[in-house]
Amino acid sequence: MKRVKTEARWKETFKVAWPLCLSYTPIGLACGILLHAAGFNTLLTGLVSLVIFSGGAQFLIAQMLTVNAPILTIVLMLFFLELRYALLGSSLSKYLQGESHTSIFTFALSLNDENYAVNYLKFATDKNWTPNDARQVEHWSLLFWSVSNIIGSLIGSVLSINLTVVDFALTALFIYMIVMQVKSRLSLLICIFSGVLAAVCLIVTKSTLGLVASTLIASFTGFLTEELLVKKRPASALLQDIGSRKGGPIIEEIDKKESNIL
Amino acid sequence: MEYSSLDHLMIIILGFFVAFAPRYLPLLFFSKRQIPDWFNDWMKYVPISLFTALVVKGIFISSKYTLVTNGNLALIIGGLVVILIAYWTRSMAMSVIVGLVTVMILTMII
Repeated sequence: MKRVKTEARWKETFKVAWPLCLSYTPIGLACGILLHAAGFNTLLTGLVSLVIFSGGAQFLIAQMLTVNAPILTIVLMLFFLELRYALLGSSLSKYLQGESHTSIFTFALSLNDENYAVNYLKFATDKNWTPNDARQVEHWSLLFWSVSNIIGSLIGSVLSINLTVVDFALTALFIYMIVMQVKSRLSLLICIFSGVLAAVCLIVTKSTLGLVASTLIASFTGFLTEELLVKKRPASALLQDIGSRKGGPIIEEIDKKESNIL
Repeated sequence: MEYSSLDHLMIIILGFFVAFAPRYLPLLFFSKRQIPDWFNDWMKYVPISLFTALVVKGIFISSKYTLVTNGNLALIIGGLVVILIAYWTRSMAMSVIVGLVTVMILTMII
């Protein structure tokens, strides 16, 4: 009885995780190929995918190795790049209240941008979504990520592919996430503001620190503007929703059914 | 500078610490305490801001941190295609695949 239930659960979490796993595969392959080109052997490529588990960080390592950066510089860059997880972790923490230390520890181990977005949406839209389910989604993505990295490393020397195109997979994934999360007119405005700000910050700081700075400024601006509008002008057009999109990848099926009826 | 496998291992080990600490500490801190409302309201805007910044970096910023104004037309059109596909289909797989195919074809033509 219990076994049937657990099996159903991992199938359930895989259903949620598979689009993510699918989009990880080409990026993971590309990352493995790039790391191979930067001199990483296959074993270390597998290890870095398991313990760092961040596309951005691993692309950064590959890139920094090809420009012969000192190890400490690479680690410092990684620190700034990974600092954004502090924000992601904090925003998920409300769903992990009351969890044990071990549970939080293992949850943090395999947290990253994309499974965060999936889990955040799931926590927000599905009352039955547990930290355990979320961790399973993390592990699915970790599995696909590591395996595709290793395969990428193995085929690295054999196959040559257009890296501009492969790089775009990551960008496309982020664009999708943005479209799913822009709900009010204000969030669209913040999105545009954040884009311009990011360009300015990146050019000024000449480092990925610009990403941290622009994320902090843009998100805080969004928060302050909303607070102000809710207090002073609750009828403001900026607070209205755009269209009728209510969710993300998770409630996709329900949305489709709705649109069929309409 | 030539790196040995030991150097690579060093990067991985140190990288693990700087990658893990920001994921773990805030999660630990806030899961035992009541998170203030304003903090949640603020965090709501973090994903949009971060992802937009990463997209802009991917399309408009070069590896030397200068503005790219030339040669990124395929990426810009690809990005617009992804927005449309994501908006209409709400499917992650469709958005990424159609976007990739668009960019692949465009880089061959342009």
